This record gives sequence, structure tokens and C-alpha cells, in this order.
Amino acid sequence: MQANKTLDTRGLACPMPIIKTKKTIDELNEGEILLVIADDPGAKEDFPAWCEQTGNELLKMEEKDEDIYIYIKKGGKNE
Amino acid sequence: MEKSKKKIAIVVSENSLDKAMMPMILATSGIALDAEVHVFFTFWGLELLKKNYKPKLKGIMKPFTGMMVKKMKEQNISSFEELRSQCIELGAKFYACSTSMAMMGIKEDDLIDGVQISGATKFLKIALNADTTLFI
Repeated sequence: MQANKTLDTRGLACPMPIIKTKKTIDELNEGEILLVIADDPGAKEDFPAWCEQTGNELLKMEEKDEDIYIYIKKGGKNE
Repeated sequence: MEKSKKKIAIVVSENSLDKAMMPMILATSGIALDAEVHVFFTFWGLELLKKNYKPKLKGIMKPFTGMMVKKMKEQNISSFEELRSQCIELGAKFYACSTSMAMMGIKEDDLIDGVQISGATKFLKIALNADTTLFI
């Protein structure tokens, strides 16, 4: 999957991965895809919840070793 | 049409390190969730709004504060000060309880920028219209 932007949050603990994701997605255009790489164990639950609440679409979440790759499409449900 | 935002109201009444971290983490996360976040600092919680305030563990745990802070740093957990400035930057609303200020001898100049001094009524008005209210 091709992402428009990649955000590496590895090494950061909650809540920073989500805060950085919010700030980054705010800069994207509707429909663009953000890839977030995280290694915070809470991310697996936090990101789906965040997407659902903020109206962004979680396209895919995959684990690679200790890391989680999260593909988020900037939605427009809250606009 | 813009969807109206969810509202979170938090009361903070203590100044220990653990109870200082919780509201900052919840407030930043709340804003990331597109919610409006209002935090009312009262009694000892008010100290968390003082410039250069460094919260410590409470009671017999106090001497272990340094150890805890070091451990948090090793785990890449943002410091209290970093999270507090994130809150302000992201637009969390901070309120300082006016009665507590008088009682604890804290002046407006002692507080960080971006804090609104208000009374209990103002906070309760917000809480009555909030989707969730937390007490820390």
C-alpha cells in the first residue's frame, strides 16, 4: 500500500504516538494515506479507537516483528 | 454541517507526580480524539499550573521521585512539563480555582500562560454539558 506520508513513532510511549498522528493527519488532504509505525503495545487498541472516533479510516494494521504498521486514510466524516 | 464536539471535563485536586501525569495524558489524548477538554485545578492540584513546578511522589514514596522520573525517561514517556505544554498548545482549557488560589497564596503571575481563573460555577456549567467528567 502506498502512503502519502510516513510517521515513525517507534520508541514513543502513550499518548505521544496518537498526538503526533493527529498533528500529522491535520496537515494531510482528505483521502490521503498516512502510514504510522508504532511499537507502543497500546497502539493496537488505541489506533482503531482513535480512527473510529475521529472519522478517519483504518485501512490496514499489520505487525512486523515488534512494530505495528498502521495505514490510515484521512476521512471527512467530521468535516 | 460540523458535528458538535464531545466534551470532557476533568477535576484535578492533587499535586503528586502520578496524579499530575494522569490529567495531562488524558487531556492530550482527549484532544487527539477531537474532543473539547476542560481541566479544573483545585486545592493542591493548583500547584500543577505553577511555572517550573516539578511534581513529586507522595508520602513515604517521595524519596523515590528521581528514580521514577528516570524510569519514565528511559521508557520514553514524556515528562510532566512536556505534556503540560502539549495540552496548552493543543488547546486544552485549563482553569485555576479562584478560591484555592486565595487559600494557597498563589498569584496569577505564578501560573503558566493560558490558564483561566474561574470559580466552581463556571466549571460545573461545563461539566453539566460534558459527555464525561473525571475526578483525579
